Amino acid sequence: MNLLENISIFDKIYPGMFITVLIILAIMLFACLIRAVKGPRIADRIVAINMMGTMVMVMIAVLSLLLREGYLVDICLIYAMVSFLAVIVISKVYLGVYKEKRQENEEEMSQMTGEGGDSDGNY
Amino acid sequence: MEIIEWIRFIIGAALLLCGLLIFLIELYGIFHLKYVLNRMHAAAMGDTLGISFSLVGLMIFSGWNFTTLKMALIVVFLWFASPVSSHLLARLEAATNENLEEYCQVYPELDVLEKELKEKRENQEKEEEIS
Repeated sequence: MNLLENISIFDKIYPGMFITVLIILAIMLFACLIRAVKGPRIADRIVAINMMGTMVMVMIAVLSLLLREGYLVDICLIYAMVSFLAVIVISKVYLGVYKEKRQENEEEMSQMTGEGGDSDGNY
Repeated sequence: MEIIEWIRFIIGAALLLCGLLIFLIELYGIFHLKYVLNRMHAAAMGDTLGISFSLVGLMIFSGWNFTTLKMALIVVFLWFASPVSSHLLARLEAATNENLEEYCQVYPELDVLEKELKEKRENQEKEEEIS
């Protein structure tokens, strides 16, 4: 009888704590979202998105213990890999776009000022 | 058995709360610091220390499972992935910011430094030849 009562106590404590942790993490996630919307530069936004990914990983891990479903941790692992890949791809793509834009600007400038504008355009 | 269960619960909850506290510090840092290259320090802290604290707490809750092993794998993967992504972001920021000198000290490029070193060495050799 005593053992059964103990099990029921833990059954009450664990879900309550997990749900509290989930609520705190959700609030912090919204704060990260504010940073991602406000951020003046594009690297700011990518950093905020990376942080959000980390918090979502913790949320999924907590959820897998709350629901007693072990396979949710697999989803967490895949989420880590995908968010890492997203950061790499976004930064590479944005670097390429920026370089193209700068080349176009330099070409326009050299066309505007005649042929002499390409003296220091070799970097 | 009851005492062991309570000890496990208390240690796991303390580690999980430590992880949440570190996420909170990270959030404070990301709002308090003024520039992206400074904010990156705060953001990298949560990627490694925050998630490892909270996942170690969850590992203690779950016991000896494959779940524990997968959580350890996540932590190890993030230890490798977080510095790489931070480095790429810093390179993106340094390459795309036109006026980086306003925010931080910028050293001249490596080619310029090597040229200066070569000139110095040549000058020294000339002086030695003269003497």
